[in-house]
Amino acid sequence: MPATDVAITGLGAISAAGNNIQETLDNFTLGKRNSGPITLFKTGLNYPAFQVKDFTLADPAAMRSLNLTFVAANQAIRDAGFGNGFGNLRLGICLGTTVASQLNDTDFYHQYRTQGNAPMNSVDRFLKSNLAQSLSQYLKIHTNFCTTIVNACSSGTDAIGVGLSWLRNDCCDLVIAGGADELNRVPLDGFGSLSVVSKNLCAPFDRDRCGLNLGEGAGIIILEKETICRNRGRKTSLFLKGYGLAADAYHLTAPRPDGSGLEQALERALKEANIQPNDVAFVNAHGTATRDNDLVEGKTLARVFGPKIKFLSTKGFTGHTLGAAGGLEAVFTCLALRDGWIPASSGFQNLDPEIGVAPVNQKTQISGDFAISTSLAFGGNNSALVIFRS
Amino acid sequence: MYIAGIGIVFNRGRGLVNLEKALIEGWVKPAPAYQVPAETITDKQVLKEARRADNLTKMATIAAFDALMDSGIPEQSKEKLGVILTTAFGPHVTTFGFLDDILTYGDAGVSPTLFSHSVHNAAASYIALNLQSRGPTLTMTQFADSFHQAIILAESWLKEKRCEYILVGSADQIGKVMEYICSRKLKPALDGKIKPFNCAKEPESIPGEGSTFFLVADNEKYNKYGSISAMPSNNKKNDPDLYILDSDGMCGDERLYSRLAKNKGLFTSYAPIFGSMLTLSSFSCAAGALMLKNQKLYACPIKENPHNFNILTKNETLSVHKIKCLRYNCYQEELIIQLEMKNF
Repeated sequence: MPATDVAITGLGAISAAGNNIQETLDNFTLGKRNSGPITLFKTGLNYPAFQVKDFTLADPAAMRSLNLTFVAANQAIRDAGFGNGFGNLRLGICLGTTVASQLNDTDFYHQYRTQGNAPMNSVDRFLKSNLAQSLSQYLKIHTNFCTTIVNACSSGTDAIGVGLSWLRNDCCDLVIAGGADELNRVPLDGFGSLSVVSKNLCAPFDRDRCGLNLGEGAGIIILEKETICRNRGRKTSLFLKGYGLAADAYHLTAPRPDGSGLEQALERALKEANIQPNDVAFVNAHGTATRDNDLVEGKTLARVFGPKIKFLSTKGFTGHTLGAAGGLEAVFTCLALRDGWIPASSGFQNLDPEIGVAPVNQKTQISGDFAISTSLAFGGNNSALVIFRS
Repeated sequence: MYIAGIGIVFNRGRGLVNLEKALIEGWVKPAPAYQVPAETITDKQVLKEARRADNLTKMATIAAFDALMDSGIPEQSKEKLGVILTTAFGPHVTTFGFLDDILTYGDAGVSPTLFSHSVHNAAASYIALNLQSRGPTLTMTQFADSFHQAIILAESWLKEKRCEYILVGSADQIGKVMEYICSRKLKPALDGKIKPFNCAKEPESIPGEGSTFFLVADNEKYNKYGSISAMPSNNKKNDPDLYILDSDGMCGDERLYSRLAKNKGLFTSYAPIFGSMLTLSSFSCAAGALMLKNQKLYACPIKENPHNFNILTKNETLSVHKIKCLRYNCYQEELIIQLEMKNF
């Protein structure tokens, strides 16, 4: 089956790095890290986090993750030139998340536990916050291709990969894809219990890194068949060329030490894009700043792409946004290809000799037309996207 | 795509032998929900990597293992095996257990094990770990549309040759909190009977749990139970020999089902066998695939039929080639999965 060319025609992003694309790029340029204490909920833990500021909920009855989705989706739709609707195009919606898929309202559960009953408004909020379903209703889109991916921290990347599959199988003409997640007490406490949250600002790939910072946000891209894009007179230079996904089959929370799961995901993505490792200009790495992730990922990137590969983690600007990470980082990868530069891998200072390679530590010009965005997740999921600039 | 193997864990046991037995036996009053007996998910061999996992993971791991074994595919390349798990609500019992920790011990006193098992993809990860499968592994959730979406993705992956075989299935569980929520949001069937053909505005439900997996492949040589495919909702062509309705009370107003009564073909529903689940479609498909394989039809467990559907009233041997499993989701959208006999 000849691969359908899939264009990327719209980008939307909201995170602590910026409430829109331009703010994000400005902060990337300045190296500004908008972290601070968590104010969204009470917690006994004192970790810095990357919380979205100056953000008004469009639908206060819905979860924050869904509201973040609305913001990023609207940006992406307008960017793609669909501000007045999609006409007769066959649409799909595929979004990744972690928090929005869970009924984990502490107040609801506290009341249920102590009184044996609880009001249903928390349940209603959960039921109306399935990201894909709710976005389809918000946009008044009827589609048979509408799903929410819950593959932990690779959810956003995998949602984009599923969108690619739908387009290549002619299920749809256009897919709204990406991920969203909100700061929430459950992952904060959970990652805290695993001793992988840093009390300082995170330092991906640094020798002295001591854990992640949580963040929140949404990153959405518009994937469109190139023929559709051309027929409506829209020019684009960005294309999604490949997606690879592989399981570690090793451990629920630790990556396979030899990195072979990630390596397989990368190989599959490269093969699908029909390119070689040396065609890749840079990698936007998962780079959470945990000891295990960065060690395995850094060594694997060096092995696959060689020691001179340019790579970075943007989590120093956004924190780890879980299900949103893959969506946001795909957007950032597109922006870097479009504009020809990548920001410094914020937080990095010292080479970790165990990893053996260092991310870029300053704003760096890039040459080349292919880039990769990777995600690694709980459960041993490894995902990679290949994005191309024509 | 072809079904090469089926695995099932449900309230009346594990495997196709118990499924057929339940279909022949018909309705048995649930006590009080359709819960999977603890002894059904104690296979130490299969669950050796999942000793600390919750019941959702255990059900899914066993069902996936059984589907692979049933397929007879020998030492398959682990890199060619994909896993797609769909779940409506995920491991909520574990999530509430984690909330218990927060409320009892505070933010710093929670269990890392509970947290790591509270993510939706824990079950799929255990399946991959148990089978040592290194292919694409994905978990998705879309309430009543979940299994339908999983079948669509499995078809896409096979066409793209992302995998040679895929374990595609569902898992959902019940728990005290979810039962409480169901009792508040839905009308409970106090007589223990889900009535699929009542087409009621406020249908009655009884929560169920379980897991079903299908080993599917594109290659005809793996055809053991016929083909399975997700149909577009506007596909009205070709009445099947049999409709299996997923009218189990989980999606609210079921009056829309009444318009199907005029359709040609026989009707049945096995919601009264499996219980009410947003992922019921996968269980209906398991029953349907078994009927295609055996060329036997199993009677409706509950025969109340005020709208005069042409329902299956008895177990019989009858030629059946095409089955449509049909559900209206909570937005009254039609979801169809078609099963078709393909010369076994």
